[in-house]
Amino acid sequence: MDAIAALMGGFAVALTPTNLALALAGCLIGTAIGVLPGIGPMNAIALLLPFCFALKLPPESALILLAAVYYGSGYGGRITAILLNMPGEPSAAITTLDGHPLAKQGRAAAALMVTGIGSFVGATLSVVMMTFLAVPLARVAVGFSPADYVALIVFALSLLGAVAPGNAVKAWAAGCFGILLALVGVDSGTGIERLTMGSMEMLGGIDFTVLAIGLFAIGEVLLLLETRMRVAAAALGHGERLTLAELARCIPAMMRATGIGFAIGVLPGAGASVAAALSYSTERHIAERGEHRFGKGDMRGVASPETADNAAQIGNLVPMLSLGIPGSGTTAVLLGALLMYSITPGPLLFAQRPEVAWGLIASMYIGNVMLLVLNIPLVGLFTRLLAVPAWVLYPGVIALSLAGVWAVANSPFDLMLAVGFGVLGYALRKLDVPLVPIILGFVLGRLLEDNFRRAMALSDGDVAALFASIPSLLLWACTAAALAWPMLRRLRA
Amino acid sequence: MAAPLLADRALGAVLVLAGAGVGWHAQSLEVAFAADPIGPKAFPTLVALAMAVCGAVLMVAPATRWEKAERVLPGIAATVAMFVYGLALPEIGFIPATFALCVVIALAFGATPLRAAASGAVTAPALWLLLDRLLDLPLPRGPLGI
Repeated sequence: MDAIAALMGGFAVALTPTNLALALAGCLIGTAIGVLPGIGPMNAIALLLPFCFALKLPPESALILLAAVYYGSGYGGRITAILLNMPGEPSAAITTLDGHPLAKQGRAAAALMVTGIGSFVGATLSVVMMTFLAVPLARVAVGFSPADYVALIVFALSLLGAVAPGNAVKAWAAGCFGILLALVGVDSGTGIERLTMGSMEMLGGIDFTVLAIGLFAIGEVLLLLETRMRVAAAALGHGERLTLAELARCIPAMMRATGIGFAIGVLPGAGASVAAALSYSTERHIAERGEHRFGKGDMRGVASPETADNAAQIGNLVPMLSLGIPGSGTTAVLLGALLMYSITPGPLLFAQRPEVAWGLIASMYIGNVMLLVLNIPLVGLFTRLLAVPAWVLYPGVIALSLAGVWAVANSPFDLMLAVGFGVLGYALRKLDVPLVPIILGFVLGRLLEDNFRRAMALSDGDVAALFASIPSLLLWACTAAALAWPMLRRLRA
Repeated sequence: MAAPLLADRALGAVLVLAGAGVGWHAQSLEVAFAADPIGPKAFPTLVALAMAVCGAVLMVAPATRWEKAERVLPGIAATVAMFVYGLALPEIGFIPATFALCVVIALAFGATPLRAAASGAVTAPALWLLLDRLLDLPLPRGPLGI
């Protein structure tokens, strides 16, 4: 049982006072940003990233903090979904279907209780699965050649278009754009300048935080500015509390949701939103055999998507840590954070930097217990956040965003660049172009090129080498399927 | 009838042009010696080509309608304020610049002038205390020393 021994080593890292405090801070921030509509985990992590770096936090501490924000947001999103009928973060959208009817019936407190428990069950069981799965998965990839990696990365990027709800072509175009952004600057192989447009400031490449803060934090606030917000929160309600019988009826739903969520999460490209939707519709199918109130306020209808959401979030971390291929936008930002520390996640991470990999996994066991405590008895505190007016919140978000850019870059040029990316992020949102592929392309772009060039160097320029091994052939076949699937879907419709 | 789908056609055209521009730029990347047989230009060329193909598809089969903004002015004001902030920050110092930025953004979000001023007057010094004093991240100081 190497996994248990390694996990104990991880607990030794996660239980130091600093790391415990950081995990708690991350859980608090995560729940809070989950509650606030318009600020997702990606924005929050992008915002915190420069400070981790400027404060010289060790990589394992930074990752513990940032990851806690990430999985903490999965707990917060449900609060807004149930009380406000709008998702606090995108993957909580499904929770509104049954959550808000429950709140209108005065059962918001019960719905929050059952989703809090569901989030904990989904996340914790997924961390257990991750504990035993991460290293075996990494072992498979240790034998990967550069050509296999090329196939794997192309597959991960093509899958984004296939599973995204919107237009697949736009997702692929966004992925290409992200890769090109990553190439800006001096080419490490030859020292030649690429895509800098003659600008001195661009020589060092585009800073990851500048891109992430611009696209996500600034772009989102610009989008919020164009609509008037008119929402009224439902009260927490003093209706009947959650009964044990109700909870018991939700347990099988939670188990199924954990399985669906984790499996979808491990698959690169498919995120928590897909998992929540699939889990909800599965549960509805099962419930339709008997008595149910789906769509009108069924406890299973909130427990299922919330459990799947949290399970998928943890599942997303598995390919990120084991293969170095993030499965979602937020894990791409986490990967970007590790790259800023010159740590490359992937097959060798568990052997070479066990304190980072296992410290993170151990901290997730602790963090989820913290989140359960924060989200069941203290849920009332977080609902107050919904009363903070926009004109207090968003000026602060923008000021913190720009101060963060200044902290890493110290240059007016990068401030302007971040604002430019903000305007771009706004326009792309209006055009329905997904932003996640841009981030994924950006963090994987150089890795893809390096492996491509290494593969070509090994084969002396023979392109056939890319298709020479069994894993690569399998992955190329999957890529072809991922590229063809959206077209078939369109033809059928 | 074509007008609502214009946005996607324009996006497609921009992608094609950008792909062509990058592809053309990549061809100028000649190096005397490279450790690998394909050098620095093959990869950007391929990616630019893929992006241009996506753009062409969008031009032929546009899908999205551009939803008109309910309000335009606040977004423009906020964008201009952020650009000016980028230029002014090193000159006038963190607290005055951030105060002005927060006031504009608060106004854009519909605050009354008094509330906007209060929002800036709290946010700017609070962030300075947090970042510069507590977390020890040096922020630019203007002529006033703050």
